[in-house]
Amino acid sequence: MNRKEIAINKLKSLGDRIIEDVNQNSVPAVKIPSRGTSNLVYDEDKRYYILGDRYGQRSLGNVKQINKIAQMVYMANFCKDLVRRGKTATLREMYYVSEGWDVDFGDQQESNIVGEDLEVSLGMTREDLGLMPEEDGASVYGDLTVQEDDVEINALKSGKSGYTISPTIDDVEFVAHDVERVIAVETMGMFHRLVQEEAYKKFNTLIVGLKGQAARATRRFLRRVNQELELPVYICNDGDPWGFHIAMVIISGSAKLAHVNHDLATPDAKFLGVTASDIVNYDLPTDPLKDIDVLRLKELSKDPRYHDETWQIEIKKMLKIGKKAEQQSFSKYGLEYVVDTYLPEKLDAM
Amino acid sequence: MEREAAELFEEFKELTASEFFRRNKQMLGFSGKIRSLTMVFHELITNSLDAAEEAGIRPEITIDLKRVGKDHYILKHSDNGPGIPEAFITKVYCTMFAGSKFRNIQSRGQQGLGCSGCVLLSQMTTGKPAKVISGYHEGEKLKGMEMTFKMDVKKNQGLILSQEPVDVKSSGVSIELHFKDVSYSLSEQGAFEYIRRTVIANPHAKIRFRDPTGHKYIFDRATDIIPPLPKEVLPHPRGVTADDLIFMAKHTDKRRFRSLLTTSLSRMSTKRVNEIQKSTGIDLDKRPKDMKWEEAERIVDLFSRMDFMAPPTSGLIPIGHDQIEKGMREILTPEFVATNTRNPKTYRGGVAFIVEAGITYGGESGRIVGDQKRAEIMRFANRVPLTFDQGSCAITEALKSIDWKRYGIRDLDNAPITVFVNLVSTNVPYLSTGKQSVAPEAEILHEVRQATMKIARSLQKYLRAKKAAKEEELRSKIFESLVPVVIREAALLAETDVPEYDAVLAKVTRRAKFEGIQLNSEVENE
Repeated sequence: MNRKEIAINKLKSLGDRIIEDVNQNSVPAVKIPSRGTSNLVYDEDKRYYILGDRYGQRSLGNVKQINKIAQMVYMANFCKDLVRRGKTATLREMYYVSEGWDVDFGDQQESNIVGEDLEVSLGMTREDLGLMPEEDGASVYGDLTVQEDDVEINALKSGKSGYTISPTIDDVEFVAHDVERVIAVETMGMFHRLVQEEAYKKFNTLIVGLKGQAARATRRFLRRVNQELELPVYICNDGDPWGFHIAMVIISGSAKLAHVNHDLATPDAKFLGVTASDIVNYDLPTDPLKDIDVLRLKELSKDPRYHDETWQIEIKKMLKIGKKAEQQSFSKYGLEYVVDTYLPEKLDAM
Repeated sequence: MEREAAELFEEFKELTASEFFRRNKQMLGFSGKIRSLTMVFHELITNSLDAAEEAGIRPEITIDLKRVGKDHYILKHSDNGPGIPEAFITKVYCTMFAGSKFRNIQSRGQQGLGCSGCVLLSQMTTGKPAKVISGYHEGEKLKGMEMTFKMDVKKNQGLILSQEPVDVKSSGVSIELHFKDVSYSLSEQGAFEYIRRTVIANPHAKIRFRDPTGHKYIFDRATDIIPPLPKEVLPHPRGVTADDLIFMAKHTDKRRFRSLLTTSLSRMSTKRVNEIQKSTGIDLDKRPKDMKWEEAERIVDLFSRMDFMAPPTSGLIPIGHDQIEKGMREILTPEFVATNTRNPKTYRGGVAFIVEAGITYGGESGRIVGDQKRAEIMRFANRVPLTFDQGSCAITEALKSIDWKRYGIRDLDNAPITVFVNLVSTNVPYLSTGKQSVAPEAEILHEVRQATMKIARSLQKYLRAKKAAKEEELRSKIFESLVPVVIREAALLAETDVPEYDAVLAKVTRRAKFEGIQLNSEVENE
């Protein structure tokens, strides 16, 4: 069964359960796993957050919950129709479509939440249900050929900015590749530096420009190249708590999307830098840590995703030196330095 | 050129009461065009109610107000009271300060000037005579007399212009007066509102009123029970002033001051009198007329330090909570009404009073200001509406000090409610000569608050129950509209037929019998 069929069957099963209850003359209720922080469990084996066993009930016999059920069932029908017809819609489009329904959403926030309810209760990403985020994913440069519908695209021949990961990444097929690894960088500045210095040749790698916090499509892409193509994934970000966490969300998934982390997390991805040790060893130009940076670092040190020793040492070290550095600060030693010296040394050490 | 004092006083001495008030009409309450007319209504209505009640007749008043020019009106006021015998007609309408007795009685009258003040105002503003038709019983015979007269202010008596016997069908007085410089208004201070409030506080009265536009209002009585007449009670020592004592001393027929005290004041035993004599050293066996002001002051001062039993309350006649309810229901046709009559209390240690309160919600409650319903406070003293000087009144102050949010009323000013407060006392402590606002005596404030908070609690209960019922209805509506939607969409999702769901719908709406078959078939027809 492909993802499309699974999605349709799961959506149908939601309707089945309600009709079943009605046939037995009992008041239908839908169980929805709780997404509260108290129901987040870090799975040591899987190395990402999953949802715990707690769940909430949406009963037809509750005046507030019946509205939610109605919204959910309507949305499920809308999604089933999308998937069946091979179309996608953004959450915003769905919000406007809902104007014609017998039940309305107060605002888009409300429809987004019901969307999450649907994801959680079916255990599928909303992309599987035909609902797409607004924003595109990251840029990819390197020798990878993908097929979108009947178009084949090579990420070396898609212009200087590379191939843009589409929100419909699950419909994309990997046709061929001639790379050994993937290097993801936080900023497009660094992306273009690596492209200009021909890092893709030098390291035989795909270069991925994350554009800050990785979009869902980007994370899905990284997981797929890691799993399907068995390519190691390295992440190079700014040397500050925010850079750390961008990497960690790719590696271990986010708390907010714990219900779909199994499709998004890439537990084998490696954080290359910039680490606190890099700041010291390479004598990088730095900025002092701000209060909010210190606060964030302390939060991270308590986060189970950062419990391994390397992370703990790096966090402590950064707090100790009280400094942070951007990944572009390597240009202190010349524009080529990062490709000629830093990356080879770090990749060797991995 | 300066005039000598003696000259001025020469002039002063010559003034009769009528002449004095002619020059100082604002002291009768005749200040401002709206207020003047309201005061006229007040005096005439009060007179008619008192007269009917004294005769044991259910009061019925007919008022006809015609506008004949700008600020120029003709008022015709008729009642069904016992009437006024021929000889007393001009006394009632043309003589001011008829009595000089110290009376400690609960009464509607406020100035004691009454109808003669109205005649004076009419005459001063228009120069027209008053016309009265009085029907009264003399023995078994019903007599009728029509009379036109003017007031001779210099002599403080009537000047009859014409009089002739007429046929009347029943007893009662009808008076016709012209007024200028007055104005009819629908505002809270106006004559119409005065009538409306009077009827609420006097549910045994019926008032017919034709306003200047010709519109006829009938305020029907809500009860047939005529309130008992207030009894005069002796004043309590704590409630008298030195001036009162001197006044009593002047008008008594007692030979000794001692017996004046025991017969003129309540709670005043011989034992107490002896205590006073011992404590002040004043010889109480002397003649009352020999009592000096300074001695009276000392006695009054001692009163305030002595322990007395609370004053008798037998003289106080409240409207009664059930009668207030009837009055409010009749006039305000509210959704909800709660009323409360408190037990008698005293203020300043010696003046008995009773506070009564009522609250209504919905219907005609509240005042419409623009397109908003505002809360309305109706203040009364001995059943008489107080429509002026609201801001400085103890009743208003007490009501505003209540935390209305606790009773489910977010904003007192903007709630569709009417709050009714009647202060009953032999001696209402007015703040000013206008006698339209009550002094903020601590005990009165407390009683008004207590009386009102109790009924506010009842209102809160009602509002809660109403809200709950509304929510329940809303709930049912939500279920009835959404259950079919959910089941229809679920069937669409499951790609199956819409099942029979009456039982489920009945369960969620908690209705034993639900006739939702049409709903069901509608869905299937889609």
